[in-house]
Amino acid sequence: MFKNITNNISNESIPYLFLLPCLLILGALLSIPLYKVFEYSLYDNVIVQKNPTFVGLQNYQEILGDKAFWDATLNTIIFTVGSVIGHLIIGTGLALLVNTDINPKARTLFRSLLILPWILTAVVVAVNWQLLLNPFGIINYGLDKLGLISEPLDWLGDPSLAMWSLLLISTWRGYPFIMVSFLSGLQSIPKELYEAAELDGAGFFGKFWHVTIPQLKPVVYGVALLDLIWTFQLFPLVWLTTGGGPGRETEVLSTMTFRYAFVNFEFSQASTVAVSILIISAAFTIFYLRNEKNRI
Amino acid sequence: MSKIDIKNLVKSFGNQEVLHGINISISKGEFCVLVGPSGCGKSTTLRMVAGLETISGGEISIGDRVVNGLKPRERGIAMVFQNYALYPAKTIYNNMAFSLQQSKIDKKIIDEKVREVAKILEITELLDRKPATLSGGQRQRVAMGRAIVRDPEVFLFDEPLSNLDAQLRGQMRAEIKLLHQRLKNTVIYVTHDQVEAMTLADKIVIMKDGKIEQQGTPDDVFHNPQTLFVASFMGSPPMNLTNAKISKDGIKIKNSEINYKKSSNLKIDKNVVFGIRADDISLPEENDSGIPIKGFVTLVEQLGTENLAHFSVGDINFIAKTNARTKLKLNKEQSFNFNMKHAYFFDPDTGARIS
Amino acid sequence: MIFKKIIATLALSFALVANANAKTEIEWLQWFAAENTRDFYEGLVADFEAANPDISVKLVTQPFGKVRESIVTDNAVGVGSDVLGLNMPWTTGFLKSDILEPLDSYLSKGSNSFKTEKLVQAPIGKINGKTWMVPLNAFPFVMHVNMDLVNKAGFSEPPSSWSELKEQAVAISNLGDGISGIGMPLSSQPPSNGPILTFLPLLYSNGGRIMDGTSPNFDNAKVVETLSFINDLQKSGAMAPGYASRTGGVDLEEFIAGRSGFLISPGVHASAVATRNPDLNYDLVRVPTNGVNAYRVHGWELGIASSSRHKEEAWKFIDFLLSKEVNAKVAKASRALPGNLESLDLVSGEATPVMKTQMNILSGDEPVEELRQAPSAVPSWSIMTEEMQSMLRGDQSPNEAASKVQSRWLDLIS
Repeated sequence: MFKNITNNISNESIPYLFLLPCLLILGALLSIPLYKVFEYSLYDNVIVQKNPTFVGLQNYQEILGDKAFWDATLNTIIFTVGSVIGHLIIGTGLALLVNTDINPKARTLFRSLLILPWILTAVVVAVNWQLLLNPFGIINYGLDKLGLISEPLDWLGDPSLAMWSLLLISTWRGYPFIMVSFLSGLQSIPKELYEAAELDGAGFFGKFWHVTIPQLKPVVYGVALLDLIWTFQLFPLVWLTTGGGPGRETEVLSTMTFRYAFVNFEFSQASTVAVSILIISAAFTIFYLRNEKNRI
Repeated sequence: MSKIDIKNLVKSFGNQEVLHGINISISKGEFCVLVGPSGCGKSTTLRMVAGLETISGGEISIGDRVVNGLKPRERGIAMVFQNYALYPAKTIYNNMAFSLQQSKIDKKIIDEKVREVAKILEITELLDRKPATLSGGQRQRVAMGRAIVRDPEVFLFDEPLSNLDAQLRGQMRAEIKLLHQRLKNTVIYVTHDQVEAMTLADKIVIMKDGKIEQQGTPDDVFHNPQTLFVASFMGSPPMNLTNAKISKDGIKIKNSEINYKKSSNLKIDKNVVFGIRADDISLPEENDSGIPIKGFVTLVEQLGTENLAHFSVGDINFIAKTNARTKLKLNKEQSFNFNMKHAYFFDPDTGARIS
Repeated sequence: MIFKKIIATLALSFALVANANAKTEIEWLQWFAAENTRDFYEGLVADFEAANPDISVKLVTQPFGKVRESIVTDNAVGVGSDVLGLNMPWTTGFLKSDILEPLDSYLSKGSNSFKTEKLVQAPIGKINGKTWMVPLNAFPFVMHVNMDLVNKAGFSEPPSSWSELKEQAVAISNLGDGISGIGMPLSSQPPSNGPILTFLPLLYSNGGRIMDGTSPNFDNAKVVETLSFINDLQKSGAMAPGYASRTGGVDLEEFIAGRSGFLISPGVHASAVATRNPDLNYDLVRVPTNGVNAYRVHGWELGIASSSRHKEEAWKFIDFLLSKEVNAKVAKASRALPGNLESLDLVSGEATPVMKTQMNILSGDEPVEELRQAPSAVPSWSIMTEEMQSMLRGDQSPNEAASKVQSRWLDLIS
């Protein structure tokens, strides 16, 4: 009896059978919440009422006309692009430094130390930076001693400083990802290319521009895009340092979603903002995948 | 073009000394080949001339300048790497033009030079392509073109043909030789292939374990090897070498005796290493001069152009070159003529040539 | 045939055995056990179960910040605990979603171990004609004082009026070296409850209110007066810098560390000060008055979930917690005042002077609690925080701040 069954399953479908358990679990964990959130965004007063009213795309119309939504979108773009640029600059610089010919033990030590910000959880990062940036914290103390400021600066509470402080924290937290990706890219560049460039008369910048960067370009592209997607959705770091404040200066789309959901209990609006984050992230991802395909 | 003087060159990596005092003088326009087994120090020497390795001791001069402290780009050299080291993201044109662009030379002049060299190397139609789309041989030409465009004082080649297949290698060898005849540049060429060394060199430097075994013209080192190593290294198939003892009438190889008028510095009862090339052992019907020795043919390798006959005398093996069309029977006793005019004798302890 | 009989017999015996051990299990969702980790609440539960063998109580403990979310999301999914630990400001939100069970019928039971009129009245007040929660404990908002700094600044007694507060706070700030008179925890980080921590107590001691019945009434004269006072404190240098990034937690920490002269916050923080920095020369007083002796009352409340399937048992447990002896124990363990005022005698015997002051406030002054009736209470605090930040920065006047809050708040609830 079993022989008949197994004979009928063609060889081609066996790989899919192996994938089936994984696909089922992933499918359930990803697609059901996704569908639910989208469903919530089409209702009014969902969750807080047992029988919410269906309003179709009204919620979307409302947020598109809401200034706070566009402000948050702008903040998210500033935060994302700023962070990624910071990551790229610091990550590249440090990757180059760590890749030089120094005592191997020292190099390993630095490599391990420099990865730490990435390993720490968001809460630890947030709390530590809050302490550092406290008006009576050590950063103000240092700046005061250096004579650069005369009054303590409220790094996280001053509307003109808050976003910069956030970018600083985010850069510090996220550069290791770029650094590690670049390190492996750098190490795959054949030494001979540098020697040829040296012989051809290229100096430090010449070698960097003509050898390092072209070899790193494929890495940069993929890694930067990934970083953009991740930072776009970043929530804990912003929520735990400024909470979107002062005022709504640092409110990003993810904090706005959380605020709607768990402060205001307005789950319909929260779902709507969440779906808009999804749409934008999906656009980035499609762009990334298409680019990967083209390059092969 | 300049001459090169390498005086007492020493190189240490940490506490390990790998080059123990190299002395080479290369005249203007000379093609000098550094050849030897892996690890002999030939690449290290080349890289020290290029400035890619630091100098631990001794002096290198290019032209009249001592270049010890100078950066690679200040030494007036161009190098062709084993793996070509072409810039993958640049077109062939830009690969060749790069060094001139770095020197901020006028675009028009760069264009002239690049196209001129491309014409010589017959790679003009490749100028707009990228290295990844080229074959190995084409890439090799581009690498040479990149060096030629710079019009350097010295050309350095680091095993440039190792990555090519046998047929291409032969082709490129000829092209390099032709180019040298035309451009008359000073070249240091590193290879482990003694055929390349023989065909390309004006001067061969044979190295082993960080020392020079012998240097001289190809003819010199081939027909007049000063050490056992040089004798066995040069030539394909390698020279037949065996232990022997000088006897009253000649030499004794195990139980066979070769009657031979020996030279005076061969003392009776002295142990020597006796060497003779395969070319100098022939079948009686092809060459009837020489001392006949009887042996059993164990293997015949057919090269097409000639045959290599492996035979044993007692338990000592020899190789002889025979005519391709001669048929030999295996395991049959056969007589071979040893041309003792071209016999070599070496001291078994020092490896030095005795006569 | 025999096979079937055996199965039937087995099934029947299983059922009987299961039933014989049938206990009703009720769940108690709270954050209290997270703040008192010495198994106190586990002990209470054990006492209750001993006296009520057919009920078992499961403690579901979560950090304070999560409990409010959990109640709402549990309710949406259809699972939920039976007895709920509550905060008064959550009330309107929960009522909108019908999460709470009215307690009137339970309170009128003759068998209760307490007298309804002897409970702290604030949480019992009717909304929509019904009562929704009862007090487990209560704490008034007070002002904590660092007497060392007060003395250093040249005063011998803590301030009792607004003008004295300003005078002393300015003097303390002038001591320099990172010391400030008073902090204002107006961080935007949720719950961004700075306004209700510091602003409301001062408003009440000025005789003001932010509500008119069940509607927001933020732009009134008393509110503007109080906002102006706070603005004044900032301008005169009495306030610690960095108000816009200062959370309630940081505010407390700075006081404990001896860097603030005054702290307006719940009376329970006295125990935090005592345990963390016993060397602090500490005193507790009423919030300085501007003519009225009123205090903001707060506490830990208890309610029953409307979706509970064991409401009778749930009430039995609540009754237990409110009984005189148990409530006194809870008050001592949570370093607060009992929700059952009859327990005061049991507590006052061992009370420290600090506790005695709180008890005096509790029994003598006018208690004010507005947030139960405040619509969208928690989100409204963000609005108040933002407008007060703007005012203190100098971007708008107290008047403008008050109007902005009012209009934004009305927008929020429409």
